[in-house]
Amino acid sequence: MDVIIQGALEQGLVYCFMVLGVFITFRVLDFPDLTVDGSLPLGAAVTAALIVNGHSPLVATAAGVGAGICAGTVTGFLHVLLKSGESESANYGPKLLAGILTMTALYTVNLRIMGRSNTPLLGVEVIFDKLGAVFSVSMIGWNLILAVAALAIVVKYFLDWLLHTEFGLTLQATGDNEQMIRALGTNTNFTRIVGLALANGLVALSGSLVAQQQGFADVGMGIGTIVAGLAGVIMGEVLFGVRSISWVLFSVIGGSIVYRLLIAISLRLGIAPTDLKLLTAVLVVIALSVPTVRKKVVRQ
Amino acid sequence: MSAPDDLTIRGLRKVFFPGTANEVVALDGIDLEVPAGQFVTIIGSNGSGKSTLLNAVGGTFPLTAGSVLLGGRDVTKQAEHVRSRSIGRVFQDPRAGTAPSMTIEENLAMSLLRSRRSGLGMGVTNKRREVMRTQLSRLGMGLEGRLKAGVNKLSGGQRQAMSLLMATIAEPSLLLLDEHTAALDPKVAATIMELTGEIVTERRLTTLMVTHNMELALRYGDRLIMMHAGHVVLDIGSEQKQALAVPDLIEKFHEVAGEAFAVDRMLLDT
Repeated sequence: MDVIIQGALEQGLVYCFMVLGVFITFRVLDFPDLTVDGSLPLGAAVTAALIVNGHSPLVATAAGVGAGICAGTVTGFLHVLLKSGESESANYGPKLLAGILTMTALYTVNLRIMGRSNTPLLGVEVIFDKLGAVFSVSMIGWNLILAVAALAIVVKYFLDWLLHTEFGLTLQATGDNEQMIRALGTNTNFTRIVGLALANGLVALSGSLVAQQQGFADVGMGIGTIVAGLAGVIMGEVLFGVRSISWVLFSVIGGSIVYRLLIAISLRLGIAPTDLKLLTAVLVVIALSVPTVRKKVVRQ
Repeated sequence: MSAPDDLTIRGLRKVFFPGTANEVVALDGIDLEVPAGQFVTIIGSNGSGKSTLLNAVGGTFPLTAGSVLLGGRDVTKQAEHVRSRSIGRVFQDPRAGTAPSMTIEENLAMSLLRSRRSGLGMGVTNKRREVMRTQLSRLGMGLEGRLKAGVNKLSGGQRQAMSLLMATIAEPSLLLLDEHTAALDPKVAATIMELTGEIVTERRLTTLMVTHNMELALRYGDRLIMMHAGHVVLDIGSEQKQALAVPDLIEKFHEVAGEAFAVDRMLLDT
């Protein structure tokens, strides 16, 4: 059991930045952003390619995040191009299409960056080794968990601060009532692009860390990221509550860990790893349809 | 913060779906001069173009022809969000003017930031809270003690009162009110209307108010405009207005519109 919990904590924490990214697009911006399926492996690919070519893992990780920011920016611009007119904040078509286009393009980009479909990171120095050297400990097990948890807390407080700045309020309002914040003089195209850039930067950070933790970057590692991210967001919200933005950011990190714990338990129970995506999708469908079903039941 | 400005509308035309079977000429050459500080009420039947006029001034869509000048500056080509820095708006739907899942203080903070670019300072500060409390207390709804409450917890009337406050708090050059009391129950509508009168008069805001309610149009404001089929068909000043009653207005409408006046339930609604 200990091994399961430790593994789930490790996975949940390296993936929590991705879940925070999905939270920002899906919940804060009301933008179901499919870019994440491409920006997660993008972060991994950029980091792996740079490390293999002898660059510092710190630089490689930062570059991975930077690439994710660019991917989000591209989706934001595509959305501006694709939406036909104004005041259609509830129109998800252009939002989905913008994300799908970037995600598809990123598949090629990721292959080009790595030059092949899989880049192993064995026998090279990754960010955890570097960090371990600073504290003269080996970055495995609980040490790794503590290090990533510390980063998660820093990122959590950064987002908390950002969302409460003047700009952050307009970012929140862009997803909450676009007509209103535009009538208050905010260019919502700009706020949305910045939000998408930020979110995909976080997703790419997860991709970069996952690659360095598992020892390889793979072009297929992003498949189902959006669904896994949603599962984390929803579980966090349901289990830990949504009383305020500051609180829900913690809830979402918790949701990421619980989701990975469920996966680990499923695997232990003998479910094939290849069946997990279907399982996750079913889980998300159930969680998302609970409010609708509950309403129907109450009416009867 | 800017002062109230004068508004000039020249040759304003708006055609929806041009070149299609659904083509509608919503505004057919409107000329209007509104001096700074004037409170104009606009009436007209459904489809007369009164809401389109407000949206045209607010920059919701590009114009087919004509120009809009605010304080002498041509704002015709300005994007909606740029124009919005100096124009306050309240819509009919109480949900339109506030962000529901954000708190009262966060909503008001955004309205205080209207006229400038938002930066990375804290959105809600103690200094801003002071301003908010003072402004909220004049609503007489006890909202000044609930700054951290979510706006989705408020009633329609409270939300519309907040929308009004948010539209006027940063001293707009122009205030546009689009049937902002029509969706409220009569008692609440009266309260919001009184509040509107107080704020507009006190701050001498240049204001265009669209309403279906002739009595309100007569009671409030210093000028009344009647629209019909995309034209201004009646434009009367303060003194004339005081001498008029609702039946006179209906008669005037017959005269100027020059056609059988189908009984419009909403128009007769007082």
